[in-house]
Amino acid sequence: MQATARYAWLRQLVAFALLLGLWEAAGRAGLLNPLYAPEPSRIAAALIQLFADGEIWTHLEATFTAALGGLVLGIVVGIALGIVAALVPLVAELLAPVMTLLNAIPRVVMAPLFVIWLGIGLASKVALSFILVAVMIFFTVFTGIQQVDKRLVERIVTLGGGRFELIRHVYLPSVAAWVLGSLKVAVGFAFTGAVVGEFVAASRGLGYLLSFAQSTYNASLMLALVLLIMVVVLAIFAAAGRLERHLLRWS
Amino acid sequence: MRVRDLTISYGDEPILERASLDVREGQFVSLVGPSGSGKSSILRAVMGLLRPLGGLVEPGVDRSDIGILFQDDALLPWKTARENVALGLTFNGVERKRALEEADDWLDQLGLHGFGDRYPRRLSGGQRKRVALAQVLAIKPKLILMDEPFASLDAIVRARVVKDVVSLVERENISVLLVTHDLEEAISLSDSVYLLSQGPRARIIRHYPVPIPRPRDPVRARLHPAFAPLYEKLWADLSHEVERDQTAEAA
Repeated sequence: MQATARYAWLRQLVAFALLLGLWEAAGRAGLLNPLYAPEPSRIAAALIQLFADGEIWTHLEATFTAALGGLVLGIVVGIALGIVAALVPLVAELLAPVMTLLNAIPRVVMAPLFVIWLGIGLASKVALSFILVAVMIFFTVFTGIQQVDKRLVERIVTLGGGRFELIRHVYLPSVAAWVLGSLKVAVGFAFTGAVVGEFVAASRGLGYLLSFAQSTYNASLMLALVLLIMVVVLAIFAAAGRLERHLLRWS
Repeated sequence: MRVRDLTISYGDEPILERASLDVREGQFVSLVGPSGSGKSSILRAVMGLLRPLGGLVEPGVDRSDIGILFQDDALLPWKTARENVALGLTFNGVERKRALEEADDWLDQLGLHGFGDRYPRRLSGGQRKRVALAQVLAIKPKLILMDEPFASLDAIVRARVVKDVVSLVERENISVLLVTHDLEEAISLSDSVYLLSQGPRARIIRHYPVPIPRPRDPVRARLHPAFAPLYEKLWADLSHEVERDQTAEAA
């Protein structure tokens, strides 16, 4: 019998609960080494502990500040450079190869470099988030503007619109649509940048806590943090999705 | 509008050569001919969207008094129907609130009362065509250039939209230059039909006045005694032109 999609969420939930149950049972039966694979109840306890003593808030604040700072800066600079490069051929000639290079390498390898340049404070994390987001947004906008629907451009011109009207009514809405379409990926990139930056060298943040958990061989704390990062990013994804649906309600 | 000895080329060989035609005030003129005869290029040259190799194009009216209706409705997808209609008005200095009121009037006249707040995605093909028509009529053009504007519509919707177009251009005394593949459409709508030869180096080979009186119902016009003989003549001339080209190609 073919399963209907209607109760897919319920089946997924049951399967997940079963998996957790098996994991927990295997752990309690002594089949898993808690040093490497602590059972779910230990992970939950570690998570509760993080919030119970209030220590987590300062780390969450550090990661959020770095990720959102990099996200906003990356979007603004990515859009600006993308527009300028699409409209001025000389800028495209100079900028496109640099961006292609930056796009070709896994940009997180720049994390240690940013620490040397900017120190272990917030700036190096914002910089890593920024570079991850800006390169992606640049290509989204740069290629997007070149693919703007020419019929819309002609329509504005034939209705009497000039360069200003073209930018306002065709280019900017098109750019907004592409950027919003990439917003979820950009959020993921921004958090990756912040956490990896903190992991490399920091005194605060979820990445720093991960690094601490690693150095103390605390797998429960590490898995609790992974879970927390997943929940945080999923929540921001949901918010970005709502924003996208609202602003792109015409599409 | 006057076109004299218009020659258009996209490469070495002209696609259109020494084309001359006239559209007098309030006249409906059609251009028919085989594919690749440069019919659409004549419209683009009149609109200033392409620079001809030679000849003279005198639109006879200001560029801001020319409206264009293409096969694609090319409505801005992020603007509602009424905002799309209001665009040309705001470009010409009409205050936004008044432009939107006028847009509503035009939508009402074209049977789209209550559809003003819909985005193009939520309109049918016929409704979008009417919005595009309202957009063009709202700028009160003295000349409308139409490039197969009804080709994408199904027969019944097409008949209704065409009827609206004819009654509005007759009422507003607008001159029209229509490009079409459809000989019946050309005769039933026009006061005058020009036939182009096969391209490249296409020429206007004949001009047929249409002696069907106005005001005109495009469906009933097909029952007028002058319709069938004119249709036969045009069909024979067009077939002859296509056959001549095929013979030349085979040789």
